[in-house]
Amino acid sequence: MAENSGTDPSVDANVDKNAAQDGTMIVVTVKTPKDKEEIVISEDSSVAQFKQEISKRFKATQEQLVLIFAGKILKDGDTLNQHGIKDGLTVHLVIKTAHKSTAGSASPTTSSGAATPQASSSSRTSPAAASSTGGGAGVTPAQPANILSGLGDLSALSGLGMGSSNFMELQQQMQRQLMSNPEMLSQIMENPLVQNMMSNPDLMRQMFVGNPQMQQLMERNPEISHMLNNPELMRQTMELARNPAMMQEMMRNQDRALSNLESIPGGYNALRRMYTDIQEPMFSAAREQFGNNPFSALGSNADSSGAQPSRTENREPLPNPWGPPATSASENRATGTSTSSTSTGGTAPNLSNPLGINAMGLGNGVFSSPGMQSLMQQLTENPQLMQNIMSAPYMRSAVQSMAQNPDLASQVSPGSTPSQQQQQFMQQMLQMFVGGEPPSQTPEVRFHQQLDQLNAMGFINREANLQALIATGGDINAAIERLLGSQPS
Amino acid sequence: MAFCVKVPRSFRLLEELEEGQKGVGDGTVSWGLEDDDDMTLTRWNGMILGPPRTIYENRIYSLKVECGPKYPETPPFVRFVTKINLNGVHNSNGVVDTRAVGALAKWQNSYSIRMVLQELRRLMMCKENMKLPQPPEGQVYSN
Repeated sequence: MAENSGTDPSVDANVDKNAAQDGTMIVVTVKTPKDKEEIVISEDSSVAQFKQEISKRFKATQEQLVLIFAGKILKDGDTLNQHGIKDGLTVHLVIKTAHKSTAGSASPTTSSGAATPQASSSSRTSPAAASSTGGGAGVTPAQPANILSGLGDLSALSGLGMGSSNFMELQQQMQRQLMSNPEMLSQIMENPLVQNMMSNPDLMRQMFVGNPQMQQLMERNPEISHMLNNPELMRQTMELARNPAMMQEMMRNQDRALSNLESIPGGYNALRRMYTDIQEPMFSAAREQFGNNPFSALGSNADSSGAQPSRTENREPLPNPWGPPATSASENRATGTSTSSTSTGGTAPNLSNPLGINAMGLGNGVFSSPGMQSLMQQLTENPQLMQNIMSAPYMRSAVQSMAQNPDLASQVSPGSTPSQQQQQFMQQMLQMFVGGEPPSQTPEVRFHQQLDQLNAMGFINREANLQALIATGGDINAAIERLLGSQPS
Repeated sequence: MAFCVKVPRSFRLLEELEEGQKGVGDGTVSWGLEDDDDMTLTRWNGMILGPPRTIYENRIYSLKVECGPKYPETPPFVRFVTKINLNGVHNSNGVVDTRAVGALAKWQNSYSIRMVLQELRRLMMCKENMKLPQPPEGQVYSN
């Protein structure tokens, strides 16, 4: 049994070695959750010296090392003797890496954006490494910001091909990040800006329609377009999107319903057909733009075109925030220079426009993160990216809604009320958009065919017809329903 | 009725001390005497490494374990020194609720300090705990 009965720890009782305390080398085992090394060290060395040896063996810097023995953290200033570390004993080691992963654990933020951890490591090496215990000032809450700062560090990422290439890709990456971090997701959902956008079915619809693949899909399956045009359904979907818990419920119900379908004779075939006809193209269409299937939440009818099993949460609203926050978020930073430069800019987005449209600001706090700002900077310097952004069809309507609602804009721009300048600026931006658009016809012209049809059907009130058509985007059936719904008969 | 040998308290604790120094186990928990001159072997330090893929990841939690005179017949008192938000730990002083931790509630005299620490670490990995928001690193309970 151990003879060091706690009387005098400095008495070496464990192994037979000479009593001389001077410079006696002892072998101490250093154990990490993954690894084990034996380090030979002088008995009366300090913890700092010990760490030096360890850092060589484990290929880590001294600041990253945290040593634990007998339930105590060993401080650099202590000696091994002080803690009673003797030959043959084991000391536990924790290596703090910049990824915030210890020698054994994995970083939670390693999602598909492989670029992110690297970028984040570069931006966080100093803070993470410098601290042993106290460090990280709120390690966890910093995680969402970490994701952004990772992405925001486009300069670091440019080498990885993310720098200037594709706005869409960027978007997707962000989305994936968001998806993997539910906290952030709920943060975003709560952002009134997002909510406002989501409550605007027209906006949503435009977004969907903008996607060319979606358009194809709609042509093939008119039911889809019908669904899109039904504002009720859209609203429901958006409600669902807002509430992830409800979403999951829906999904589950849907899954169950679908699996029931299978058991019906011939049901399996129907399911399969449904999948191949509808789901695939829709999925790929959606994935291209949003990374999800926007109809996943529509559980209304299992055999309608929209239903589809087990997608992850409906992410449809997420792409929205790209547009509006950008406009005014960086207005703040734009200040004088942008106004002057934009006033000269005519149709196409002004290249030197520091307006980082691609503001990943999905939460107010997020706007002001340093990553965001650097992202904006990146954008300003990168005209290509700007153009890509501008070409996103839903941008226009997003910006419009922003312009119309200066309150919203002020929310977006962190904490500052839009000044005169900014408002002016917004106007100009709008005009820019409008100017840059292909010649937009008035709704009357666009819908004149439908108007005629409605007329023939007996809806004489041209005004009302027009309104209805505008609201439903040209869908006659939906327009009729709207008209009928509003009439007292 | 099981035929169990009653090991004297000091023997048990000395054994645990040795285990702690030798690093028995997987290295995710550590324990040792708080004061090497403590002849009663009552006060112990404990250390738990926050398990990966939880909110406790990368954190090192300090604990104080007190093995009373009736140990190992009675469970030890365990108290977190580092602030933590965990079910079963009092928010105000870090005291671990005996009834909340399985090993403490159904204590056997074959259990050890190591087991308690490992159980606490397991609790950190439970679904209900693994995402609880935590106070900033480095804060300790002040009493």
